[in-house]
Amino acid sequence: MAAEPVLRLKNIVKKFGAFVALHGINLDIRDGEFLTIVGPSGSGKTTLIRLLVGMDSPSEGEIWLNNSRIDKVPANKRPTCMVFQSLALFPHRTVGQNIEFPLKIRGVGAAERTARARELLELLRLPPHYQEKRITECSGGEKQRVALARALAFDPEILFFDEPLSALDYRLRKTLEKELKDLHARTGKTFVYITHSLEEAMVMSDRIAIMREGKLEQLADADGIYTRPVSRFVAEFMGEVNLFDVEGTAQGGLHGRGVEVHVNGQMEDIGISLGQGERGTLMVRPEFVRILESSGTSDFIVRGILRAEYALGSRIQYEVEAADGSRLSVEKLREDRYQGAIGDELVLGWDLDSTHLIRED
Amino acid sequence: METGRTTRIVLYAYGVLAICFLYLPLVSVGFASVSQARYLSFPIRRYTIEWYGEALDSHTVSSLLTTSFTIAVIVTVISLVVGFFGALAFARYQWRYRNLFQKFILLPIFFPQAVLGLALLIWFNSVGIIPSWKTAIVAHLVWISPITTLIIAIRAYAFDASLEEAARDMGASTWTVLKEVTFPLLLPGVVAAGLFAFLLSWGNFPLSLFTTGVDSTLPEWLYAKMVSGYSPLVPTLGMLSVLASLAILFAAFLVLILAKSFKQARGTE
Ligand SMILES: Nc1ncnc2c1ncn2[C@@H]1O[C@H](COP(=O)(O)OP(=O)(O)O)[C@@H](O)[C@H]1O
Ligand SMILES: [Mg+2]
Repeated sequence: MAAEPVLRLKNIVKKFGAFVALHGINLDIRDGEFLTIVGPSGSGKTTLIRLLVGMDSPSEGEIWLNNSRIDKVPANKRPTCMVFQSLALFPHRTVGQNIEFPLKIRGVGAAERTARARELLELLRLPPHYQEKRITECSGGEKQRVALARALAFDPEILFFDEPLSALDYRLRKTLEKELKDLHARTGKTFVYITHSLEEAMVMSDRIAIMREGKLEQLADADGIYTRPVSRFVAEFMGEVNLFDVEGTAQGGLHGRGVEVHVNGQMEDIGISLGQGERGTLMVRPEFVRILESSGTSDFIVRGILRAEYALGSRIQYEVEAADGSRLSVEKLREDRYQGAIGDELVLGWDLDSTHLIRED
Repeated sequence: METGRTTRIVLYAYGVLAICFLYLPLVSVGFASVSQARYLSFPIRRYTIEWYGEALDSHTVSSLLTTSFTIAVIVTVISLVVGFFGALAFARYQWRYRNLFQKFILLPIFFPQAVLGLALLIWFNSVGIIPSWKTAIVAHLVWISPITTLIIAIRAYAFDASLEEAARDMGASTWTVLKEVTFPLLLPGVVAAGLFAFLLSWGNFPLSLFTTGVDSTLPEWLYAKMVSGYSPLVPTLGMLSVLASLAILFAAFLVLILAKSFKQARGTE
């Protein structure tokens, strides 16, 4: 995909008084992609999206939509549309009138509006008689679909979402995540989605952008973010992880506290090496850590005592206390569960190819 | 929760007492207006409606009603416009002096009305305006606009600002947002405020007393008659005034019902 980006952000800065909410964001959004912006609450996601739809204007920087600069264009003149966290459905209107609203604003005739609303209800799998239903009579999931239908009626170039599923219960959220992804495929529109939930991002997106304190920390596909995070922050944000501080040795190997390194030579080839005295963080996800026989070998080894066991549904998580007091987590599928008991002395090991080295400045 | 026997008896007693206390005076005015005797005494020996006939024929009475009505209508309209935008400034928008504004706008409600009336009269005189029913409108507005602002602001506080933003995001201009979203959502507050404005102006005595000059409103006339020469026309006009208020309330109620059924009819077409 080498196509021109549909939306280009150049060095976007947003200040509220003395407080800097966004510190120079650069981002290219591709035509037709599903991009998710993930970050903890307060990281500036809503602030960023409000700039993109025109409800606020940046303090510095430029926003380009297809080859025209739009950062000074007000929200009602931009071909973008947003689904709010609160959904912002008009309570004094019926479902049908809500969906027709953007068409009415555009001066589309009543008959055509009604027909289009009916099509959209069908697309969102809502029964046709919902057209006359009051918003207050709809369930959470139905409101969600109505808000989507209304946004699609606007027919935007880019559709933005600000955590629209956050108020729903787990089951419904899972269903709607899949529906949203499916809708993206069927409409072929560019979706830009905000969430603080890693799971949501992983399920739906083509690419994920991680935000932290008003900066873009990393932009990659779900796999890249999960297996090759650029910082401890991203690694920890994207789920359970084991991290070790390491330092390069004179021989070109690694030395770390609490972890035995049994590899030499090949590390350079796959980029897991540091210059002498250089510091980094070694990362391994819990599902890649094996519980070894006491005589077993592996590229990396940690010895410790099993302290706790948690059932996570299909998987079991083990908490192991290493010799230096740090805690590791190990995950096994239920059918491969460890047969011993709490308090056992364990040897944990994993291989080079499931290890990632984080270099932070 | 089950209401206990004692609680229920106390509740009933309270309800009956409250209603007697509120409505007995009104009932006695009603009786006075249909009694032929010059002064009210029970039992009433002869009933008559001649005073109503006289009231409706009287030139004075019709001019009183016209003055009171005109003032009330104009005050209602202006105080609603002021109150609507005032309420938005009061409750919806964040701005630098909002806190100060919120306190100052409510202050006139707490002035004793007689003092407010006197102050306005002195002020009118000093700038050379001759008091008439038009100056009374200004006086009523000073007192009633804060009330309409407050009533609409209560509604505006419950307003989700993202509704306006969403409308704007979907292409609506500032005016369209106001017309399609803000106004319809504040409408119940506007109707309530309008009723209050009308009834408070219609029944106002202290402000009118000071500021109507040679003109006279209904409450002023009632007072003057009580002091100088009582006639059964006084309770009659009093009753007429109450009936007019009720008619206004009823009309507003009817309008709301009709609007609702019209909406439903449109919704199910
Ligand atoms: N209008 C505003 N005035 C001042 N500070 C604001 C405003 N809007 C957001 N902020 C601040 O900017 C930061 C980012 O907020 P926000 O974009 O809402 O975060 P997120 O959506 O990621 O939770 C927060 O610290 C918030 O307090
Ligand atoms: Mg947010």
